[in-house]
Amino acid sequence: MTDVVLLLWPKAKSIGNRLKHRRASDLIRPVVMVILAVLFWVVIFAVFYKVLVYFKSIEILGEVLVAKLLAVVFLTFFLMLTVSNIITSLSTYFLSEDTRLILSVPVSTEKVYLSKYLITLGHSSWMVLLFGIPVFTAYGAVYGAPITYYLWVAVILLVFLLIPGGLGVMISMSLVNLVPAKRARGALVVFFVLFLAALYLFFRFLQPEKLANPERFSELVDYLAMLRLPTSPFLPSHWATRSLFPLLKGRFDDSMFYFLLLLSTGLMSVLAGSWISRLLYYRGWSRSYESRGDKIRKVPVLEGLVDFIMRPFHESTKMMVIKDVKIFLRDTRQWSQLILLFALVVVYLFNFKALPLNKVPRISFYLENVISFLNVGLAGFVLSAVAVRFIYPAISLEGRSFWIMMSSPIELKRLIWSKFWTSLVPLLLLAEVLIILSNIFLHVTQFMMIISTVSIFLITIAIVSMGIGIGAVYPRFRVEDVAQIYSGFGGLIYMIICVIFIGLVILLEAWPTYVIFMARIGHRSLSLFQWIEVVFCFCLTTLIILTATFLPIKIGLNRLSRIEI
Amino acid sequence: MIELIELTKRFGQLVAVDHINLHVKQGEIFGFLGPNGAGKTTTIKMLVGLLKPTSGRALIDGYDVVAHPMEAKRVVGFIPDQPFLYEKLTGVEFLKFIGSLFGMKKDEIQPRISDLLGLFELDGWRDELIESYSHGMKQRLVMSSALLHNPKLIIVDEPMVGLDPKGINLVKRIFRQKSEEGVSIFLSTHTLEIAQELCHRLGIINRGKIIAMGTLSELTKDLEDKTGQTGTLESLFLALTGKPLDD
Repeated sequence: MTDVVLLLWPKAKSIGNRLKHRRASDLIRPVVMVILAVLFWVVIFAVFYKVLVYFKSIEILGEVLVAKLLAVVFLTFFLMLTVSNIITSLSTYFLSEDTRLILSVPVSTEKVYLSKYLITLGHSSWMVLLFGIPVFTAYGAVYGAPITYYLWVAVILLVFLLIPGGLGVMISMSLVNLVPAKRARGALVVFFVLFLAALYLFFRFLQPEKLANPERFSELVDYLAMLRLPTSPFLPSHWATRSLFPLLKGRFDDSMFYFLLLLSTGLMSVLAGSWISRLLYYRGWSRSYESRGDKIRKVPVLEGLVDFIMRPFHESTKMMVIKDVKIFLRDTRQWSQLILLFALVVVYLFNFKALPLNKVPRISFYLENVISFLNVGLAGFVLSAVAVRFIYPAISLEGRSFWIMMSSPIELKRLIWSKFWTSLVPLLLLAEVLIILSNIFLHVTQFMMIISTVSIFLITIAIVSMGIGIGAVYPRFRVEDVAQIYSGFGGLIYMIICVIFIGLVILLEAWPTYVIFMARIGHRSLSLFQWIEVVFCFCLTTLIILTATFLPIKIGLNRLSRIEI
Repeated sequence: MIELIELTKRFGQLVAVDHINLHVKQGEIFGFLGPNGAGKTTTIKMLVGLLKPTSGRALIDGYDVVAHPMEAKRVVGFIPDQPFLYEKLTGVEFLKFIGSLFGMKKDEIQPRISDLLGLFELDGWRDELIESYSHGMKQRLVMSSALLHNPKLIIVDEPMVGLDPKGINLVKRIFRQKSEEGVSIFLSTHTLEIAQELCHRLGIINRGKIIAMGTLSELTKDLEDKTGQTGTLESLFLALTGKPLDD
């Protein structure tokens, strides 16, 4: 056990040192994170509380539904944790930088396995735990559960985590013996993303809004009650549900039996993982260094297209864009997320197609145009979310190779603008597709079509510019995973600024658009005062958009030029 | 080709480079020696634009690296000690990219790439992703990129790290040849044998200050005078700095 603690010591010490050497200004980050986490918890709690109260009020079926929902929660946790543990363990056991050193010291494979198991468990489980807190608290609050319930939740969750942890590690150990670690991780990420996209599309196409119709809702309730999947007696999620549920009413019933099932299976999975690691770990690790890396994915059509689009630009700018496009397309972890993006677009457009606006013609004409206007804001938020994932990390993704740019006779503004153009074209395309197609589905007037396409065009330029600029203010060149870039403090600041910016633009555009729209509908001309109002609002909007476009780039450039590496 | 005037770099309280002065002539191979943490890499980073001097000046080919960084960088080929590259590009793509950063024309890049890949024996790997290269191969690729635009000055931080004996021999040969063509080479190294064999002049830096400078014989004599001992350059260096070269 001492060896395991010793192997975990560098990790613990690094965290300790990071906390110790924190400056006063660094406190803003955790404070903002805590505020957001609390907000997140409040929303999740409120949603679950409302749903549970409603379920509970349904006679006869209420109790069953509450239990089923708990089983669904545990099953979702179980599936997500298993996938997350497979992907994380591929990194911690096979790809992390310290593995080479650890495997060369005289410590047994089982101890290395155990220390890395604990690290994997920590990395892959915190998110689920975070999400679980408001869910389980909502259950407790609805049932007025005693304190023993909350203590039992903690115990159950800790034991429950062991099973997907052990399972994930065993699967990744076996997988790496078939396919080298990097390729296995890439394939798994694609699989996971496809799975998520399919799940997302599936739920959306179920049209949950139909629940608003009481007749249809009863069908769903019956269906849920009949659902067998989350309650299969062989699933750990079922055991966790059965162990926890009686505690909501302060009873133990067969809680202990199911808890012991969880505990014994959890411990067994850790032990089995240890046996498997003895057989497969070293062999798999060795294999992961024998591969020659990924096959090159050449897309000559795309390269030709980039070459054509970038013709007016300087040769070095063009080469920087081509380099970024190639790197993006060859990194599975990057391009695979486009699948999710595609699902997002499909669902976004489906929402407009499915809107029941044609019931009252006069109101619906007005509504369609109002929604079209609000759609600009909604699309703006969606584009910001896409941008924080793909555009904000653009500068940081130069990574440790940034020395090449710094030591080359290239002005950094050329680098920044190359990133800007690389990001702008695809995001503009996405923005206009979202807006034009949704407007077509909404049958909006030509005036609204022009207003919304022009607005989203300008908003997108500003979103890209802010992404590149703020990304340059908070560059992280030494991270191993892109998620560490956009999920950090800078990413958060970027999202907040985007929300404020889009809100401001929409607010300022709303009044003049309304005035012009109503005048056109009523075949009236605008009064002088209305003209002044309209011009003033549009000028102010233009000023905000121009500021949001040029200022972030200027600040980012200024910060980047002061960077020392 | 290089002129450092009272060049200083501070990191908070720490003075990493302390008012150093030196001059490297055209075609000269200058060896920069010193123990770890002496200030070698910091000096090099200031020369190539990765760090900004706190005070003093660094001139390359007459251009101040702070006032005219583009002009200064254009004549430099830089080889860092750690070859961090764009792992998802192939060797050829990387060199094409570097060529365009240095403003080379398309038709001059292609033949130059073929020559350099041949010279550094990377021909068979030209279309493989850099992520599949070994450390030594990456180092050879960086060297190719540094020579691609025919620089007037090559700045090298630890040139032989990760190279096999054949690679080391090749690099020595190239450096000598470049020097004969009038290219200046500024190399920092721990390896005394390489410094003795290659360099026309040597400078020894310790705790941010240059403590000795000159040709090998001048340096040996200087060190003997300072330490009052006779012996090899290494033993004298040890006596002077209190640290071995490869500390």
